[in-house]
This record gives sequence, C-alpha cells and structure tokens, in this order.
Amino acid sequence: MHIPDGLMDPTVVIAGWLLAMAALVISVRVVNKRIERRSVPLMAMLAAAIFVAQMLNFPIGGGTTGHLVGAALAGYLLGPFAGMLVMFTVLLLQCLMFGDGGVTALGLNMFNMAIIGCLLGYYVPKMLPKKAEKAGIFAASWLAVFIGATVCASELFLSYEISGGAYGISGTIAFPAMMLSHALIGIGEGLLTTGTIMLLAKVAPGVLKIKKATMTPIKRGGVDV
Amino acid sequence: MYKKGYLIALLVILGLFTFGLVGFYIFSAGLGDGLEKTMEDAGVEEGESAYKAPFDYGNNYTSTWIMGFLGFAATLVVGGLMFFGLGKKNGPGKR
Repeated sequence: MHIPDGLMDPTVVIAGWLLAMAALVISVRVVNKRIERRSVPLMAMLAAAIFVAQMLNFPIGGGTTGHLVGAALAGYLLGPFAGMLVMFTVLLLQCLMFGDGGVTALGLNMFNMAIIGCLLGYYVPKMLPKKAEKAGIFAASWLAVFIGATVCASELFLSYEISGGAYGISGTIAFPAMMLSHALIGIGEGLLTTGTIMLLAKVAPGVLKIKKATMTPIKRGGVDV
Repeated sequence: MYKKGYLIALLVILGLFTFGLVGFYIFSAGLGDGLEKTMEDAGVEEGESAYKAPFDYGNNYTSTWIMGFLGFAATLVVGGLMFFGLGKKNGPGKR
C-alpha cells in the first residue's frame, strides 16, 4: 500500500504532509516526555522487525499479495505516539534507502499506514472487555488495514476528481479494488498481529508492559513532567 | 528484557525472515500488492520517481536477504539513536 510518486494530485499530497507533520510533532512531544531509556531497545527492535516483516508478501488470491503493515502491533505494544514514531522510522527508511513509496507521497503513506493503524491498534482493544482482548487485537489489526486502504482509495478518488483524471484513479475502480483486496490482507494482518502478541505474552511478557511506560508521564521529584 | 533476550529476539526475527523469504519467493514474488493491482486494473503506470534510492530489494533470494538484513540493521541503528535521543533526558525512568 506504499503510494509512489506522481500518483496523487499535489493538493492531496500537501494535505497528507500536513496531517503527517502534525502527528509527528505531537508524537515527538508526547514521547519526549514519557519515553524511558529502557524502552529504547524494544522500540528499535520492533521497528527493525516490522521493516523485514513488510518485505514478506503473502498471496491473497486473484494475483494479488499483501504484507503485514505492523502499525496495529506497534500501537498496541507501545501506545499510539511511540507506535507512530516506530512506523515513521520504518516508512522513512523504506522510502530513502529502497525507494519503497514515493518521497513526495511519504506524508500520505505515514497517514494511511502509521497514524490510522497505531490509533486503532491502541484504542480498539481498550474499548473491549479484558476477556475479549484477543478479538479486539484481531479487529484492530483488520480495521487498521481496511480503513487505511479505504482512506487510500478516497485519496485516489479525490486526486482523480480534483485533477480531472490527470492524477489518481476513478472511484468506481479504486474503492472496490482497494477495499476487497485489503479486506483479505487484513485477515492476514489480524492473524499475524494476534499471534505475535500471544507469543510475546508467553515468552516475553515484559514487552507488553512497555505501553504503560510510554503512556504514563515520568515523575521527577514526585511531580508529573 | 535483559541483553541475552535482545540477542535471542534478534536471531529469531532474522531466522523467521530467512524462512519467510523462501515462502515469498515460492508464492508471492512477481505479484503486485493491493495498490499495485488497483493501478494495473485502472491502467495507471507508476510514474518517474522524484528520488533515486541507492538500493532496491533485490530480485533473487540471496540479494533480497542481504537487502533485508541491511534494512533491518539500518532501522535498528537509526531507530535506536532517534529513540535514545528522545529518552536521553528522562533516564531509566521513575514512575
């Protein structure tokens, strides 16, 4: 779902950058106050793991493939803001080192794959009772991919309409194609994310406590910072 | 997580990538993802990139594995330095 250069109308591209930069500034401010040094290796390890996981496409039928996005996993494990920074790092390096996703479209890619996914990954499981947490994680992961793809289809449609067909893709093609394929990719995302979290709960339960650390202000001299 | 735990996690991730890449080359290599298929259906071709990246993901198992390892290491280092920079003033943490 990495948008390349030249696909979207410049107005849509600028809107994507504005949203991504706003999220980046908020994330840096929040994480700067709350991150602890002991959380750093886990965040870096998660970013690196998501990088290689995104290289492993799996077939979903009809000559199409999908891969783990990892934003719901990052949002669930680290909280939405630290999760976004992890995803921004992955997307930035994919773009600058390997040309995966366009440089001009990086803002849109950050919005579609990092911001939406991390927010859903954190808040959807929280809305459900503790005993339904696994279902919540699966639902969050599926929604992260499906809503991200639907937003991407909306950007394609908007670009097409704004530019009179010079950019983007007609809504009659973009919406059904993106939504159908990503409804299937989302199932893979849900299974991989839920499986990873269940595995971590057994072999490294401490990792599941990092979220609490990155979402709680650090106290200095008994005062919340 | 203690230092040995990080080393084990690193080896597990690279091991899974090594095996997963076999499956990728058997089942998925050469097939487009959801957006690429949508662009293909609409007859839209990928335009000229605004930036020339120094690497690509490779076109065989070995080159893709090397590029994956390179990306993994770069993300680990860049992410680590960036997150460490953010957390530096907070120290180990007191809550």
